[in-house]
Amino acid sequence: MKNIRNFSIIAHIDHGKSTIADMLLEKTGTITPREAKSQLLDDMDLERERGITIKSHAIKMQYTAKDGVKYDLNLIDTPGHVDFSYEVSRSLAACEGALLVVDAAQGVEAQTISNVYLAIEAGLEIIPVINKIDLPSAMVDTVKAQIIDLIGCDEEEIILASAKQRIGYEEILDAIIERIPPPEGDDTKPLQALIFDSVFDSYRGAIAYIRVFNGVLKTKDQIKFFANQNIYMAEEVGVLGLQKIKTGELRAGDVGYVIAGIKDVKETRVGDTITHAKNGAAEPLPGYKEIKPMVYSGLYPSNSEDYESLRDAIEKLQLNDSALIFVPETSAALGFGFRCGFLGMLHMEIVQERLEREYNQNIVTTLPNVEYYVYKKNGEKVVVDNPAEMPEVGEIDHIEEPFVKAQIVVPSEYLGSIMKLAMDKRGVYKNTTYLDPTRADVQYEFPLSEIIFDFYDKLKSISRGYASFDYEFIGYKESDLVKLDIMLNGEKVDALSIIVHKSKAYDWGRKVTSKLKELIPRQMFEIAVQAAIGNKVIARTNIKALRKNVLAKCYGGDITRKRKLLEKQKEGKKRMKQVGNVEIPQEAFLAVLQIED
Amino acid sequence: MGKEISLYVHIPFCDHKCIYCDFYSIITQENRNSYISALEKEIHYVKSLLAVQRKISTIFFGGGTPSLMGPKFIGEILNYIHKNFNVTESAEITLETNPGTVTKEDFKEFKNLGINRISIGVQSFHDKDLKFLTRIHDRQTAINSIRQAAESGFENVNLDLIFNLPGQTKKEWIENLKTAVSLPVKHISAYSLILERGTILNKLVLDGKVKIGDDDYDADLYETTIDFLTQSGFRQYEVSNFCKEGYECKHNLAYWDHREYVGLGPSAHSFLQGKRWWNFSSLKMYIDKIEKSGNAVRGEEKLSGNEMLEEFVMLALRSKGLNLNVFKSKFGNSWLEKKKKILDELKSGGMIYFTGDFIKLTKKGYSLCDEILLKII
Repeated sequence: MKNIRNFSIIAHIDHGKSTIADMLLEKTGTITPREAKSQLLDDMDLERERGITIKSHAIKMQYTAKDGVKYDLNLIDTPGHVDFSYEVSRSLAACEGALLVVDAAQGVEAQTISNVYLAIEAGLEIIPVINKIDLPSAMVDTVKAQIIDLIGCDEEEIILASAKQRIGYEEILDAIIERIPPPEGDDTKPLQALIFDSVFDSYRGAIAYIRVFNGVLKTKDQIKFFANQNIYMAEEVGVLGLQKIKTGELRAGDVGYVIAGIKDVKETRVGDTITHAKNGAAEPLPGYKEIKPMVYSGLYPSNSEDYESLRDAIEKLQLNDSALIFVPETSAALGFGFRCGFLGMLHMEIVQERLEREYNQNIVTTLPNVEYYVYKKNGEKVVVDNPAEMPEVGEIDHIEEPFVKAQIVVPSEYLGSIMKLAMDKRGVYKNTTYLDPTRADVQYEFPLSEIIFDFYDKLKSISRGYASFDYEFIGYKESDLVKLDIMLNGEKVDALSIIVHKSKAYDWGRKVTSKLKELIPRQMFEIAVQAAIGNKVIARTNIKALRKNVLAKCYGGDITRKRKLLEKQKEGKKRMKQVGNVEIPQEAFLAVLQIED
Repeated sequence: MGKEISLYVHIPFCDHKCIYCDFYSIITQENRNSYISALEKEIHYVKSLLAVQRKISTIFFGGGTPSLMGPKFIGEILNYIHKNFNVTESAEITLETNPGTVTKEDFKEFKNLGINRISIGVQSFHDKDLKFLTRIHDRQTAINSIRQAAESGFENVNLDLIFNLPGQTKKEWIENLKTAVSLPVKHISAYSLILERGTILNKLVLDGKVKIGDDDYDADLYETTIDFLTQSGFRQYEVSNFCKEGYECKHNLAYWDHREYVGLGPSAHSFLQGKRWWNFSSLKMYIDKIEKSGNAVRGEEKLSGNEMLEEFVMLALRSKGLNLNVFKSKFGNSWLEKKKKILDELKSGGMIYFTGDFIKLTKKGYSLCDEILLKII
């Protein structure tokens, strides 16, 4: 056990986490330089495209240190987005140390800070690494000062590296061995293995990636999962090289995988503990949480006939994504669909994109929303994750919404615009600390609903890309919220209802009504487009009746063409959604997602 | 069977191509002899398709500019038709003409050939419109042509007009209508300008070089047209067609009643026994194909029961209305029962009305005919 080191790499997006990993893999001979195509660990197409890691993975390296001793180094990768902070915390819990990678040209960013705090909380030894020192714009001294300020280390502890130039790997590998403590644990104690990730393989079922803390896990062992107490037989146990390598056993301190004929990743939950069915551990490892979605949205098939096919696709996707939850829901406007819960906006976008790309689904989504606690006058508490389910105005005593603590790291020259944006988003200012004389770390509390939408894009654009941002959930607080309905000729379009702060309702109502006027084609009759809170109309516009639509000539040679045109238009109409007697093109639902708050 | 059928003859020759026209036409007459001989072969082909008893009740020479070819040319074709088909005594025989291509003498000769209906492509009585449309005639030529046709014994004269031309004011359009009804015509086709793909006009509009009135303006002119012509003793019997009592164009009615027809010449369509087919458009291909295989068919479709129904409803509503008895005898009751709710809605929306055995479009309904069809079909 003393020759094992378990570590993660934490870094802000684009600071070079993956290239550092590639460098270490290559220099330890785990992969050949040819195999070191960039970002080897990110094996989902989407991950490569977005340059972020969605799922975490692990890989084992072997390295002979200066003293001639051979070490097993387990690199446990962490997801690189705030939506997955729970997974990050579980990956970190599987390690004893972490490389903190900071871009020499960018310096410490919001995500660097939040990940450092997670690592410190997890009690990890942190090895600071400044990457990209070869860049002309590198400001090594400034970044050094920022890091020292952040984690309180000595200057000499900071390793200078350029993963691209393969500079600094020896120092890093030596530091991993010298500074990170070997795992503690006891082979003779009952088995306790932490699941830090799980993936679904269509042939093998759920594969749990685990870190053994105590005991020994062997092939054919009867194992139990604490979260749901289910028992399986370990069919295959091994370590993670480039491929899975069967070893037959994993001992305390080891990182590896277990396959147990499990059909669903819901059984192998991240953070859960595996023990033996007989003579197992009395307690699971600490820190397990049920993953709770933070953002909800309705997903509907474009064509109502594709409902079953969408259900199949979501079910398949869920096999590999235990954080995705869904229940069937019906909308008067959109028909049959699903209310889905996501960890955050990125998670939602990924799910939508995978449904479209990998499962060829055409979907219409509704505005994302958070989960509200509605307290009724009769003392009842209702949890609302769909605006359409909001109780009547008269029944409501008060409403609570989720709040987050947000950290924004920004060059001080943009502080003014950041504060203005924060105010627009109902932010409550907490404090500012300076990372160095030019960069500030500003803390705010925001309603989650205000930042799930277009906050990040706005933040980036007003700071010319320099601001970075991270947040964590802190709890529910009361807010002055109302449900805003959109009506067409007096009929509510349930899919367009939103829950919004009272101060923003008028503006939102005005924007949605005028957007709908733009997108709903004129029809045989005039259409009143209204936004209303309860019975009170707060914005209104009209779509004038269509006055002419007729082909002037239809003689012998035109009939076939005309019939086919009608059939085609009819097909197009089928894709329209109907509310009352008004036909609404799908673009109208999608365009609402693009309205600037 | 003994049902009468209609015959369309496409004469693809024109003096030049007008900027708004998408009909198939060519401006040289080099091929006229090979065209005639191909047409004769095609007549043989059509004859082989028809049972002997089928009589021809209408003939329509369209184009192109059929009148450009002169009476001798038309006479040759007519002769050949008579030789091969049984044309009824009372057959309606229409010739499309353009002002400036026919003399008074020509009209007389056409009359002698048995042609009994003349359609004149006037389009506008304003010279600026005619210039814009690159027509060869002017206002006076148009008026002369109409008078000459009448004086030559043509009682059944139609004229074509186009509204919502670029720059055309409502006042100018009403002047056109006034001039039209003051002349000896029994039938007026008043079309809203159609921007056809591939025409010069369409490109001008797409490029923003020419502006035409929006749909609301178009609707305004259209409704004005209906009101004006109705008040001047004309009856609307189709979206764009108006006539004095009893002067409906029988040939076009055949299309709209979903009756059978046969088309000769390049780009012509035929509809027989539930099948529709169409000829090659280019004159050269038309001639080549006939020389090779005796017919010029470029494509065909067999209409399904549902397609038959859709066409029947579409054409009936555009014109004199849907005859419920005829519809039921052809397609049964179930479709109408299924559509009852939407028909009721359209009725209360003032789009259609029920009269006798007919469902008809109101004035508003004609303006929105295609929108209504989308709801019904």
